[in-house]
Amino acid sequence: MLSLGDVLANVVRAVLGGLFVLAGVLKLQSGGQFAIEIANYQLFPSLAPYLAVALPPIEVLAGVALVIPGWRRAGALCITGLLVMFTVAVTTVRLRGINVDCGCFGGDSGPITWWTVARDVLLLALAALLSLRSDRPKA
Amino acid sequence: MTHTMPRAMAIAVLGALVGVGFNAVRRDGIRPSSFAPPAVCDGESQKQAGLISPAEAASLCGRTDVLVADARTPARFAEGHVAGAVHLPCQGDADATVLALDRLRGHHTVIVYGDSTSEAQAVAASILRREPALDVRVLAGGFPAWSQAGQACASGPCESCEVTLPATSTAPLP
Repeated sequence: MLSLGDVLANVVRAVLGGLFVLAGVLKLQSGGQFAIEIANYQLFPSLAPYLAVALPPIEVLAGVALVIPGWRRAGALCITGLLVMFTVAVTTVRLRGINVDCGCFGGDSGPITWWTVARDVLLLALAALLSLRSDRPKA
Repeated sequence: MTHTMPRAMAIAVLGALVGVGFNAVRRDGIRPSSFAPPAVCDGESQKQAGLISPAEAASLCGRTDVLVADARTPARFAEGHVAGAVHLPCQGDADATVLALDRLRGHHTVIVYGDSTSEAQAVAASILRREPALDVRVLAGGFPAWSQAGQACASGPCESCEVTLPATSTAPLP
């Protein structure tokens, strides 16, 4: 019998996993455009093409792992790492006052606002909680 | 869970490898060696663009190899701009930036202007860094000097700019 906490954790895993799979697929579709959007952050522009190649499939795999028993914590840990990176990036963009497109879900994701930062912090908190939570329901 | 960290690393490594493989086979894949980040607005350049007076700039208007580019906000552009000028989307989405850079390449001379000389200088320097062969000039005194000199102006949004941000935002130039 699953506890309420287990059910909630599974719902969060499904939502967060789905979100990351969607974000990864949309970024894969936008291709070179995503590299330009990363470069626009003006953090490490020379790394932009490499990040644009590697990040989308990592997001998809981590999102899928989040709902596979035995891989859930690993998926959550991976997503936590990604979200730390994303949150730092969007926060520095806001603090520097740069107006760039987010690129969070491929092209036309809209500009980065403090709501983008708040959303990333919320997702980061959820992912961190899931990465600390046991993979299997208590017996 | 001693397997968590190695498995998370495995996801990251496998994802990166899948990405490299997928990128290699797709026709529009990213080529890191030839990737040039858009740099219209970052102001990092050793080269300085020369100044051009409103009268001299006006004498170049109408030449097909000369492009006049507005480096101000979309809102300021809509309020009034040099007739025939294109808007450089310093705060716009990446699509618009790429489009603007493509436009610049087809010209011999690009005259950049802002609300002041200094506003346009950083943008002009960035264009020079990206397109060193271009003859990039900065309109001395910016748009105020142009309109005070009684040169041709137009108003209205830039139809091809597709700038996605609020019209009230301002562009901080580093």
